[in-house]
Amino acid sequence: MSGKTVNLTPQERTFQRFALGQRWEHAILLLSSLVLILTGLPQKYRDLSISQDLLSTPERIMLIRQIHHVAAIILGLQVLYHLGRILYMMSRRKLPGDLLPTVQDLRDARDMILYLLFLRDEKPKFGRYNFEQKVTYWAVFFGFAIMGISGLIVWFPVQATQFLPGGVVPAAKLAHSTESVVMVIFILIWHIYHVHIERMNWSIFTGRLSEKEMRLFHEKEYERLTGKVGEKK
Amino acid sequence: MRPRIVHRQVLAMGLIGLLAALFGLASLQSPVQAKDPAQETEKYCLSCHGDSSLEMTLPSGETLSLYIGEDALHASVHSGVGIECEACHNDISEYPHPAITYQTVRELSLSYYQTCEKCHSTNYEKTLDSMHAQAALDGNENAPVCTDCHGAHDVRPPDQPRSMISETCRQCHTEIVDTYRQSVHGAALMQDENPDVPVCTDCHGVHSIQDPRTNQFRVDEPEMCAGCHADAELMGKYDLSADVYEIYKRSWHGVDVSVYKARWPTIWHDSAICSDCHGVHNIRTTDDPESMVNANNLLATCQQCHPDAGPNWTDAWTGHNKISFERTPFLYYTDKFYGSFTHFTLWACAIYVALQIIRATVDRVRSNRS
Repeated sequence: MSGKTVNLTPQERTFQRFALGQRWEHAILLLSSLVLILTGLPQKYRDLSISQDLLSTPERIMLIRQIHHVAAIILGLQVLYHLGRILYMMSRRKLPGDLLPTVQDLRDARDMILYLLFLRDEKPKFGRYNFEQKVTYWAVFFGFAIMGISGLIVWFPVQATQFLPGGVVPAAKLAHSTESVVMVIFILIWHIYHVHIERMNWSIFTGRLSEKEMRLFHEKEYERLTGKVGEKK
Repeated sequence: MRPRIVHRQVLAMGLIGLLAALFGLASLQSPVQAKDPAQETEKYCLSCHGDSSLEMTLPSGETLSLYIGEDALHASVHSGVGIECEACHNDISEYPHPAITYQTVRELSLSYYQTCEKCHSTNYEKTLDSMHAQAALDGNENAPVCTDCHGAHDVRPPDQPRSMISETCRQCHTEIVDTYRQSVHGAALMQDENPDVPVCTDCHGVHSIQDPRTNQFRVDEPEMCAGCHADAELMGKYDLSADVYEIYKRSWHGVDVSVYKARWPTIWHDSAICSDCHGVHNIRTTDDPESMVNANNLLATCQQCHPDAGPNWTDAWTGHNKISFERTPFLYYTDKFYGSFTHFTLWACAIYVALQIIRATVDRVRSNRS
């Protein structure tokens, strides 16, 4: 990346970042979300001729809705698995809690913004998950909550109004439709930049980070794991 | 002196010419003043046909009255402009007349109305595409022809007064017109000849009346109603919202219909159009207890398509109203939330990432220099 050559020793040390189960969770989430976006947006923007080309027959509309529902069920099951696993680990007092927002994250965010505005020379040192990654996790967490609940309401409006006021149906429709776009924009700008452009971060698929990446981006975690002081650059 | 005299002569001749031209124009503009011989024809024919007892028996046994009321004839649009008997009765030019070959009265009508085409060819051809013509083709000899709606000897402007149109259609479509007259549109027409409410022909067309039960008619219907109901000036007169169509188009039903309209106008769709909820000929105001969309009847109307819907269901329908705290609080807060949240997310992400790109680029340039 930079002009300096980096000495890559053949057996460069790597660090475990994501367990196999977490990598599978991400893969399922990624694929089902992609299907949901691709089948959802043409339904939202049905006036566009490109959508109408895709939804070229009434049967296609039914088909695309079915695909959307199947993908929603898969993603829903994945989310339930994720929540179930959190509860299971909490019950065994084994939930790491690395992803919980802390006051340190606010300080990190402040320092990072100062750094970006050239008011600080150094980036703040981050732990296992930096505040950017926590923002990603929680934005998706609450985004899915909204999408899931509003999606179920617009999927089963008659059943939903058996116990909910009718006014939630158009509200759910608006929320489902708008939140989806907010999430797509968020992922496209925020997530894609941080994992593809800032650096190519494959760890969600390989499960591991190199020593150099650990030193550069998760210095505190690196120090905690190795006892060494991470060297910048 | 001489040139001046010449000028005067030229001027006088020019003036005379101008007057003559004006006179000619004036006479051209008023063919109403028919030539005398033609006017004579009418008088001539009425000398026999003015007798109210004049009649003959057709081979079918029907009695054909041959009486033409002079007043009715003179009140017709044709008589006034000099179009007389022989214009339509072009097979009769002398007395005694050639023998009548028609078996029935209807047969006679079906033959004579065809002469309308001579002058009114555009409208005549339109009728050939109508569902009335289709009914005739299918063997219904009572399917209406020109004279059934316009009259024969007493042709008058069909919309004077405007309620006359519904009267004309009522001759055959009695029940529908009676229902229509109870509706908000029909009642206004009958009570004060309202010039704005739709009469039969506004929705069904005039000469090329189409079958209103087709998929095409169904998919076109919302736009037809919007012709008046999206007209802010017209709706303002009656204190009605002109936003109903725009809001409908964005609703579930409306979006469905717009896709069908754009892509498959000939395929039947079940998404609700205006008349499914408001009724067709029986449209009433929403506060009328008999209206299909009156608060007390709304659930039953929804249940036509959503049979399992419960009492909360009707609140799911925003009723063509703009988002407001009073009517749709859930929608109002959701809209308010996303109104700011969407922009906040977009800008926060974009600015933060842009700053990162700038800082990373500057750092790289600096480290390359050092």
